[in-house]
Amino acid sequence: MITTELAIIGGGPAGLSAAISAASLGAKVILIDRSENLGGQLIKQTHMFFGSQKQYASIRGVDIAGILMKDLEKYQDSIEIMLDATVISVYEDGVIAVEQNEKYIKIKPQSIIVATGASEKFLTFPNNDLPGIYGAGAVQTLMNVHGVAPGKNVVMVGAGNIGLIVSYQLMQAGINVKAILDASPKIGGYLVHASKIRRMGIPILTSHTVKYAHGNNKLEKVTLCRLDEKWQQVPGSEFDIETDVLCISVGLSPLTELLWQQGCEMKYVPELGGHVPVRNDNLETSIKGIYVAGDVAGVEEASSAMVEGRLAGLCAAKALGYNSPDLEDKKNDCLEQLNSLRSGHVGEKIRSGLSKVTV
Amino acid sequence: MLEKTGVATEQDLQKAIPSKERLAKGPVAIIECFQRIPCNPCYTSCKKGAIKEFEDINDTPEINVEICNGCAVCVSNCPGLSIVVVDETYSEQEALVKIPYEFLPLPEEGSFVTGLDREGKAVCRAKVVKVLNTKAMDRTPIVSLAVPKDLSMTVRFMKLNDIYSDNTFVCRCEELTMGELRELIRKGFNTIDEIKRISRAGMGPCQGRTCRQLIMQELAAATGAKMSEMPISTFRPPVKPIKLGTIAGGADHE
Repeated sequence: MITTELAIIGGGPAGLSAAISAASLGAKVILIDRSENLGGQLIKQTHMFFGSQKQYASIRGVDIAGILMKDLEKYQDSIEIMLDATVISVYEDGVIAVEQNEKYIKIKPQSIIVATGASEKFLTFPNNDLPGIYGAGAVQTLMNVHGVAPGKNVVMVGAGNIGLIVSYQLMQAGINVKAILDASPKIGGYLVHASKIRRMGIPILTSHTVKYAHGNNKLEKVTLCRLDEKWQQVPGSEFDIETDVLCISVGLSPLTELLWQQGCEMKYVPELGGHVPVRNDNLETSIKGIYVAGDVAGVEEASSAMVEGRLAGLCAAKALGYNSPDLEDKKNDCLEQLNSLRSGHVGEKIRSGLSKVTV
Repeated sequence: MLEKTGVATEQDLQKAIPSKERLAKGPVAIIECFQRIPCNPCYTSCKKGAIKEFEDINDTPEINVEICNGCAVCVSNCPGLSIVVVDETYSEQEALVKIPYEFLPLPEEGSFVTGLDREGKAVCRAKVVKVLNTKAMDRTPIVSLAVPKDLSMTVRFMKLNDIYSDNTFVCRCEELTMGELRELIRKGFNTIDEIKRISRAGMGPCQGRTCRQLIMQELAAATGAKMSEMPISTFRPPVKPIKLGTIAGGADHE
């Protein structure tokens, strides 16, 4: 059995930042990710990030992954990286089971940071299993990681930031986005993203939903309809759009299975995407030595995931006995950054959600 | 409403558009960012200190247009691509609109493209005056478009294909092409009525519903005349083509 001080599960923005900050204090870290490269969703993000300079604002997500990877290299003596490695369970005695290259590996860490991120939510409508119906994350992976066009025409469901950004990226890739729809009467994503899309002539249909998908063996057409102010379908408002791709981007759910296995106290908080762990200001769950950071703790932007990762890394390392003269300053800086990222109008939902699970 | 449509309203824009006097002095940044979101690179990228320091990162930008010299550094730094630079002193009839353009291929300098408004509607032919794509701009090139001056606050994007090229139809009923229209304007037919009489544009089945606006736009682009001040053609009955027999048959009560 492999032993280590700190196991970090997930090498996205939160996990990478956690590994860097914990190792910077001296902790021995194993960073585990199920994909073949680190960076998580960052590597698919070709757009400039929001936030301030501390969260790499104005830099493209894929380049932020590069910056974090460079930082990680500084601590290569303290950080062991396991790629193509999926944590399949965390047992009650704190042993992590990992599947890598069809091998079963056991790791016994003293502490764990769970930074597993989130998975995409899906919608129910007839024929939602037709080929051509994708999650937005899958479309990004095809397009921005593998260079494969998902199709010729796209109807996007969801006008949150992901739906808006992926639509823009599709247009950049030369794929025609026919319309973006959203069940909500208001655009959920940043309005500057929405304006950017509208300038290209793409309609955003608020208060609309998908009623049917049609096609033989693959998607050919979707039937949309309008929703009234009670979010009920308006009879007779149906209309069809011909398309070979329907992209679904209706939110994310935290990937919390490993926290449940550990017996962490969980709460259902819709504002944060579903069940999330109860945690304290140090991002430690109800179980000592188990920390969380990023979307698994509540679905937010990548900028806050990075700051949470940094904070969790510092706190976990401190609990392991590591220290530095400026540790408290660094922690407070993270807390201040999180506060300011969440202080606006758009952060209202996050604040309300967090107030229910922070003890 | 911006929150519903993604398109800024006149009311929103009032906050962003500088005074006529300021616009007459030269290039200036127009920041169309109206929602409180955690983002401040416009402020941190501005070397002139024209954008007020953010007290809270969620503040919407406040620009001092007297300090701004329209250098456009903020344009490629804004993650929301919500900033353009407008220079109304570019020429007598045209203004320069500098837009961020993250698409390939980039337009060629000197070529013509189609200017789009905030809803992606084609509003004019625009000449690509400059394409800037430096390393510091980090893959957000800036395209400078020369557009008719009264569209300086309308054009916010472009598409490569020049829908106003010479062989595009302006009047589909009477088959008048853009090239023919331009030739007529060059010859001095400078009002919509003159164009109509010489070319029959607007006298076909649709009675000018397709071409009237387009001809006026082209007149504005070519002569510098303002659309708002342009004389409109006379509207005589019938407003749609009908059979002579229908009229000859007389009205019911007669």
